[in-house]
Amino acid sequence: MKGYSTQAPRRVPSLLPLIAVAVGLVIFPFVFPFLDGTIDVADRILVWGLFGLGFDILFGYTGLLSFGQAAFFGAGGFTTAYLLAGNITSSTILALLAGMAVAAVLGVIIGLLSLRRSGIYFAMLTLAFGEMLFFLENSPLRQWTGGENGLPGVPKPNLPLGFTTIELHSALAIYAFIAVLFFVGFWLARRIIVSPFGMVLRAIRENVERAGAVGHDVLLYKLVAFVIAAVYGGLAGGLLGLLQGYMPPDAFYLETSSQLIIQTVIGGAGTLIGPLVGAAIWLYLYQILQIVPGLGGAWKLILGLVFVILVTGLRQGIVGGILLVWRRRRARGGQAEAGAVQPIDDAPPPPRVKPDYTKPPILEARDLSKHYGGLLAVDKVSFSVVEGETRAVIGPNGAGKSTFFKMLAGAVQATSGDILFAGAPITGLDAARICQLGVVRSFQINQIFPHLTVRENITIAALARRRGKFRPDMLSRIDAVPGLDDLVRDTLAAVSLTARGDRRASDLAYGEKRRLEIALALATSPRVLLLDEPTAGMSPAERSDTVRLLKRIAAAMTIVIVEHDMDVVFELADRVTVLSEGRKIAEGEPVEIQNNPVVRAAYLGGETEYEPA
Amino acid sequence: MSLLEIDAINTYYGEAHVLFDISLHVEQNEVVALLGRNGAGKTTTLKTIMGVLAPQSGAIRVNGEPVQGLAPYQIARRGVQLVPEERRIIGALTVEENLELAALSAPQRWSLSRIYQIFPRLGERRKNHGNELSGGEQQMLAIARALIRDAKLILLDEPFEGLAPLIVRDLLKVCRLLADEGRTIIIVEQNVAAALSLAQRCYVLNNGHMVWEGTGAALKADPDIMQTHLGI
Amino acid sequence: MVTWALLWAQLFNGLVLGALLVLVAMGLTIVFGTLGIVNFAHGALYMIGAYAGYVAFLHTQSFILAMVSGAAVVLLIGVILERGLIRHYYARPPEDQILVTFGLAIVLIEIVRLIFGGISRRTDEPIWGNGVVNLGLLYYPRYQVEVLGIVTLVLIALYLVLYRTKIGLIVRAGIEDPLMVNILGINVTRTFLLVFGLGAMAAGFAGVINAPIVSVDPDMGAPILIQCFVVIVIGGVGSFWGAVAGGLIAGETLSLTTMVAPDYAQVMLFAAMAFILIVRPQGLFGVKTRQ
Repeated sequence: MKGYSTQAPRRVPSLLPLIAVAVGLVIFPFVFPFLDGTIDVADRILVWGLFGLGFDILFGYTGLLSFGQAAFFGAGGFTTAYLLAGNITSSTILALLAGMAVAAVLGVIIGLLSLRRSGIYFAMLTLAFGEMLFFLENSPLRQWTGGENGLPGVPKPNLPLGFTTIELHSALAIYAFIAVLFFVGFWLARRIIVSPFGMVLRAIRENVERAGAVGHDVLLYKLVAFVIAAVYGGLAGGLLGLLQGYMPPDAFYLETSSQLIIQTVIGGAGTLIGPLVGAAIWLYLYQILQIVPGLGGAWKLILGLVFVILVTGLRQGIVGGILLVWRRRRARGGQAEAGAVQPIDDAPPPPRVKPDYTKPPILEARDLSKHYGGLLAVDKVSFSVVEGETRAVIGPNGAGKSTFFKMLAGAVQATSGDILFAGAPITGLDAARICQLGVVRSFQINQIFPHLTVRENITIAALARRRGKFRPDMLSRIDAVPGLDDLVRDTLAAVSLTARGDRRASDLAYGEKRRLEIALALATSPRVLLLDEPTAGMSPAERSDTVRLLKRIAAAMTIVIVEHDMDVVFELADRVTVLSEGRKIAEGEPVEIQNNPVVRAAYLGGETEYEPA
Repeated sequence: MSLLEIDAINTYYGEAHVLFDISLHVEQNEVVALLGRNGAGKTTTLKTIMGVLAPQSGAIRVNGEPVQGLAPYQIARRGVQLVPEERRIIGALTVEENLELAALSAPQRWSLSRIYQIFPRLGERRKNHGNELSGGEQQMLAIARALIRDAKLILLDEPFEGLAPLIVRDLLKVCRLLADEGRTIIIVEQNVAAALSLAQRCYVLNNGHMVWEGTGAALKADPDIMQTHLGI
Repeated sequence: MVTWALLWAQLFNGLVLGALLVLVAMGLTIVFGTLGIVNFAHGALYMIGAYAGYVAFLHTQSFILAMVSGAAVVLLIGVILERGLIRHYYARPPEDQILVTFGLAIVLIEIVRLIFGGISRRTDEPIWGNGVVNLGLLYYPRYQVEVLGIVTLVLIALYLVLYRTKIGLIVRAGIEDPLMVNILGINVTRTFLLVFGLGAMAAGFAGVINAPIVSVDPDMGAPILIQCFVVIVIGGVGSFWGAVAGGLIAGETLSLTTMVAPDYAQVMLFAAMAFILIVRPQGLFGVKTRQ
């Protein structure tokens, strides 16, 4: 779990934060001097806040902790500074855009390399690549960057208006310029976060495997988030050079990446405004503590201690903490239902229609095998399922059921053999691609998005169906996705979780979570649903509820189900495939299987006769 | 006093309630089988005894001393030893190192030669790494790790799973030897016939509930139980 | 112009640098392999070792005492950190583990800066390290040769501890499957403490013996930490020989590139890492461990 943002995107994004930020930006330069702050410090706070907006999208919302953001800050900054100081262009805007473009290209390259690994490795790799860029700036490229001296002579910003060009010379004018850019950056970041694209990013943070399994191209989304963060970094770096009239080499330092992380965590990751607050604290504290005798040297130690305490105790940071308190207070006012467990709709399921076995198979496995080293987990298993059928796969522990199942869903690559869906081979495709084609799997152990609401959970899965593997619809709204609302509503109703829509998924009762697990698969509107022990861990009452639910689902699609509970199997399945020791040992209708001596032997171990003790 | 006494334990996997008020007892020198379908809660019961999972309520006593809530290593030092289903041989260590590792904290240990007498195959492969062993050899090593500690109570989780019949027969012979020697064992096995050939008494679990207990002979004489809770 | 003499000298430089990297990275990789935690404060522990050695040497003029006290101080700090903070993070997500050790590094660095100030200091070489030695192919500073010898001895000792003792048996098993080690009656929590302490000590010791070669300042740990990450990525996590190979490759890459194109020395190091990452993502000696 990574508990940062719990912010729920509303259907219509509230304008309140935008107005608050706008008002804050306007009054800030007039209030700040009363706190012994200078306009220059205010400028810097905004530059770091802008840098932090991108980083928050990457870390707070997508869950990717990068230690190499200085690379983009520096690359963008030096590009902008070089173009302006060398008089290659006189347009501030053009130079900033060029800096952002260089940062973006760099983001693609470093992203492609670093995203090959995740978690700890990702942090180490971004750190290393960040350092690599520093050394590049410092030595081989020093004739352009000035090496350790940096680039002086960056002219003050100007604004071409077509007929005339406004030179921004006064401190207030420069502040206004940066403030406007921050506001635009904030507005854009908010749009990204509440867009369908942003929803997928949060899904990745919450549960990367599931985000892929419901059909999103996780790697591509991560890469784009990485590039977005790089572009914000490039812009912020460019502004730093403009603001100071000088581009310092320390933009590339590890210190820069560190400062960004600390500011973001202290202010609150996953809040967008948190990094700005963190930057204000950092820069203000730095300025104030310098004046206090004896504390000047200790300001970073104090920040470090605050940081460790926040990481240990208040992971949401300052802004996150305030939001949490505020939401709790609001929730207390409107708390009507603690609520009993939502029962499953007990309307009788439609009568079962026998599938037409003469039709060509919709899902087929041919001689499918999987070796783990020397171990043969699945040994040349073939099976075919026709449209509308409910097929159970059973077998003793270690029979290879789950490996077989994972191969069908693309979660495990087959060693040999073929898988065909509607006649076309899908062998070797990844889970996201297979899901997009219409074969989706639900998990034996709940794989939900714990900090999002039930509705958001289902929306994430439905988005994959409605938008495909990847779509950079960063500026559109979730309610603009055609057909999404209906799909989410129908799915919620299908698993009787409508009344639970606004609950956080982690707050559901176990049985409800199980249903949400199935709903995540259902919301991708599959043609074939692969169910991995849907009744695992359920009480007998929940079990019979779930069987009724599955019967209703079975009327609409093809199902392959792995299940331990034989009562469930024989009640649901049209046909049963039995695996034992990696091989298929029997297949047929439930009654045949029940009376099959080979199957009995496999389960009872009757192959060899043993004398009693 | 029973060697092991379990009194109404309830165990959860995260939020999934897996064991419901399970009670059982095992006497000194007794072999007891724990039977049931897949997912009935047999492995969970063994893991709870070993301390890998902590019961939310109920009591587990070894020689009358409560052990619920203790860490696995503390329970192991009281003479209980789980031979896990996945065997969990340390692949980077040799056969001999795996055995030495197991013997480290044992108050009383067997000599390596005594182990190799029982499992000559392990003696032949003593310098091989764990990840070079076949499934059968791994299972032998897993059992041998419990023996070298001179465990008073051995918890065998599906020892015959995934093994060829010939190897099952060999392993069964060893198990019977141990049983005849008077070692106390709880065996969980899908292979009901094999389990019943070892055990004097058995318990049957279904969906986390204890549904039957009695002698092996009584179980075999009860086709209803066999059909409802074990058969298909 | 590259001459044979220069080549030999640079090869030897690479060896000494590589050996030190191996020692620091070994601590990092064993802690990571066993506890699953990447200690971002590892560089800070190396730095504290250097300061502890510096102070001890200043007051006693005995380099042997400096080595002992440097290692001991960092061992103690490592044990306190594991008990007080790190152990509460074993079950938390990797991002939290990184953040807390990263914050810890800042705190440690700033404490040292507060006590000793930001100026860099120098530990003198021990008397037995003065002068140069004739290695046949070239003359080389005596102390550097001795450092190579000391590091080799420490690595051999570490190897023996890991591969010839009961503790090593437990650590190697713990890297692969801590739960099973626990089931076999061994208190892994205590082993974890020991491993963290040992890892810290390796870093601290490296700090002491490297102090006469580089200057001692509060920020000296960061570059070493980053190079150790590169070593681990190249060699593969949790592997003794991976750390050795990765360290030597890193040392020689830095040293040999310095000879032909000094501007690109550091860049080449990261390029080597990127290359390994593309062709063999798990590292040269990378092993898959049980989750």
